[in-house]
Amino acid sequence: MFAMARLFIIGFLVLTVVYISLSLYSRAVRRGKLEAEWEETQPPLPKDTFVDNGLQEYDGSLRRKLILGVYIVPFTLMCVIIYLTNFY
Amino acid sequence: MTYVKWTVIVVFWACVFAFLHYTLPQHDIARVTDTYEKRVDPGENRWFWAQADVGSDGTLQNRDVFFIQTRRANDSVMVFRNEDTGWSWPPYFKFDTSNLQAEAADLRSTADAPQWVAIKHYGWRNELLSVFPNAISVRPVEGPDVRIIPWVNILILLTLAAVFWAIWVRWRRFRAARIDPALDAVGDKIDDGGSWFKKRFGKS
Repeated sequence: MFAMARLFIIGFLVLTVVYISLSLYSRAVRRGKLEAEWEETQPPLPKDTFVDNGLQEYDGSLRRKLILGVYIVPFTLMCVIIYLTNFY
Repeated sequence: MTYVKWTVIVVFWACVFAFLHYTLPQHDIARVTDTYEKRVDPGENRWFWAQADVGSDGTLQNRDVFFIQTRRANDSVMVFRNEDTGWSWPPYFKFDTSNLQAEAADLRSTADAPQWVAIKHYGWRNELLSVFPNAISVRPVEGPDVRIIPWVNILILLTLAAVFWAIWVRWRRFRAARIDPALDAVGDKIDDGGSWFKKRFGKS
């Protein structure tokens, strides 16, 4: 039981670091793209408002929720490995 | 300085290679000749033993371990240990040690009437340290010349390479965009003079 708890706690901490890094990186990339889009299309909005609106849209988007895969993919993989190793 | 640099690089890649070679699964085509269990007292080689079966008391010094004796297709012998990896490293999540021992015992055969099996395992055999590879699964195969394509290894190595390449490229880009200009600015400032830095360390 101790080994299992250790795996889950350490795994959760490591994946949380990955999750936070990836979230920040993805947001920064999105910001860069919005700024580039503003430069190119020159919409009537001020740049800050345009970028903020875009980021707000991004916050609610599916793309951002996909980053949760950082937790889901390894957990699914673990379940698959347990099944294949022991019960297949 | 070049020697130091290359030594560090070579040692680093040797460690990476050794780690992957120890951890990733490999297949041996072999004939199971016998199975047994024996008491082990992990000492200097304790890194190369797993732990007690999941659910049992893991604090005791010694315990019984299952072994599988085989003769491989190339006629050399190989002895595998058969231990739970449980929830620890490497992540095979193997809990069915006793079942595997039963399967291996069932597949025993003689040289006269050979039953060839593919044994998936990780780890190394080292006679000098009494280190044994850990068997993960065993399944019957047609004959000694079966070719097994290591799809899992291919997938894992490709994924690893892709992840590290992605991080490396982004790091290079980040360094070119942020760190190099900052260092240049510091250098310029020192050259220009008038800074705190120059007053203390620059040539007057």
